[in-house]
Amino acid sequence: MWKSKAKFLFLLPAVVWVLIFTIFPLIYSLRMSFYNVRIGQGDVFVGLNNFARVFTNEQARSAAFITLKIVVIAVAVELVLGLALAILFNRAMPARGLLRTILTMPLFATPIAIGYLFFTIFYEEGGLINGLIPWKVPWLSDPGLAAISISLVDIWQWTPFCFLVFLAALQGLSEELYEAARIEASSGWQVFRHITLPLIQPTIVIVLLLRLAEALKLFDIPFSLTGGGPGTATQVYSLFTYRTGLRFFDLGFASALSYIMLIVVMIIVSLFFRHLRQIYD
Amino acid sequence: MSRKRKRTKGIIILVLAVAAALWAFMPFYWAISTSLRSPLETFTIAGLGIPFIQFRPTLANWIDQLSIGETQRALLNSTIVAVFSAVIALILGIPAAYALARFRFFAIKNKDITVWFLSQRVLPPVVTVIPFFLMMRSASLLDTRTALVLANVTFILPFVVVIMRQTFADLPVELEESALVDGATHFGILRNISLPLAAPAIAATALIILAFTWNEFLFALTLGSRQAVTIPVHMAGAVDTRGVQFWFMAVRALVAMLPPTLLALFAQRYIVRGLTLGALKG
Repeated sequence: MWKSKAKFLFLLPAVVWVLIFTIFPLIYSLRMSFYNVRIGQGDVFVGLNNFARVFTNEQARSAAFITLKIVVIAVAVELVLGLALAILFNRAMPARGLLRTILTMPLFATPIAIGYLFFTIFYEEGGLINGLIPWKVPWLSDPGLAAISISLVDIWQWTPFCFLVFLAALQGLSEELYEAARIEASSGWQVFRHITLPLIQPTIVIVLLLRLAEALKLFDIPFSLTGGGPGTATQVYSLFTYRTGLRFFDLGFASALSYIMLIVVMIIVSLFFRHLRQIYD
Repeated sequence: MSRKRKRTKGIIILVLAVAAALWAFMPFYWAISTSLRSPLETFTIAGLGIPFIQFRPTLANWIDQLSIGETQRALLNSTIVAVFSAVIALILGIPAAYALARFRFFAIKNKDITVWFLSQRVLPPVVTVIPFFLMMRSASLLDTRTALVLANVTFILPFVVVIMRQTFADLPVELEESALVDGATHFGILRNISLPLAAPAIAATALIILAFTWNEFLFALTLGSRQAVTIPVHMAGAVDTRGVQFWFMAVRALVAMLPPTLLALFAQRYIVRGLTLGALKG
């Protein structure tokens, strides 16, 4: 490790950029959350009023609840499915590289495009799914099913992420360990339960925390797939915050809403960072 | 018996793997199939809608959509915003990453600076979108590509810092040290020794951040209205004004999805490292 002064020249531009375009907006937003902000008319200080509204507002509460529901279902399935696929792909098979590549295609597909595309897939009359099954399932018009549909799209897009990470973790495990375990004549399930699972447990925790932090931001898919509907049944937290701030220009309340979300995400992420700090040393 | 069982097991595994790949690919297939049908055939063809077997494919929807001025402008905007954002983020991020990999900072530890950069990446965008909107409004930058570049650089910069920091840290330090003894400057070493060695990682990083910027929606929706409309916002706008026309929707979805999906295919090796923010190498 070197000690030259050049290091500051290298680091400074990026730091200044983040200060201007992330830290300043964060402070700006924190200030707004204590005010009743009216563009062009001057702001009125309201103390913690906006934060109190977050907890008493019916829409905010239902937005938080529906976000949690969608996220918990999606992330749970993604982890299990991703791990199952990783175990499946962790052995020799024909065309493994090609199949693996196809499986990773959803990851970078434009979420907005995915949302609109799945709108046609879930469509009740003439959509792909209802065209293949003998029932007419109201995927998007039933409030409960609409939330499940959003989870399903998230599962489609993000299971490949869990799969890739778990596969990398499995391939990093030593082969000798497995040989020894097999000689001990344990069943496949026992090898998985007592050897594989404990060894990749740190990876599972990382993936879980990352997925939770990412999924809570959910915006694009509900925006395009359901538009928050039917009614406000799938108006997720980010969508509600966005509408409060940039459609109804209740900027103070929207800032308070967003800060509550920031705190929740930061709690999750700090668990993740505690682990990361060791790696970056 | 054992050999036969082994073969059966192998076949079952392959079938499951193929099924998983089909599941991942199905929406792409559905978009392609729908985009090749005439509007009248959209709802009359049952099931999977296999081109050439169930209907005669036509490129009419593609020609229609791609010849619209709005689509062309959105494509141009998305390309310009993505390229400029990626270049600026690399110019800012690479030296910072190099500093974190090779120098020791004292007042604040290296790892804490890295985590600080990282924390931007997990920040919910909805927290900064409102102040960012007001800032751009004060600077009279609303509805400009500049505003979109400023926003997107902010999102992808932490990504560049994290991936490149790891890349530089993995390079052997001896070459750089002997150059230092020969009197080279730190800037010269970065430019002439480290950058060429890190070229593959830089290329992969560039592909991933191009894809990220191309896909960004919330800020593009908030900051652009008439002129600075990107592909995702263009899609949302078309649905608002004309309703969901499946056949055009499919074309627009493919126009949106294909560039980032193809770009990412070339960066496979770096995806795990990138998406786990360097926590796992993959």
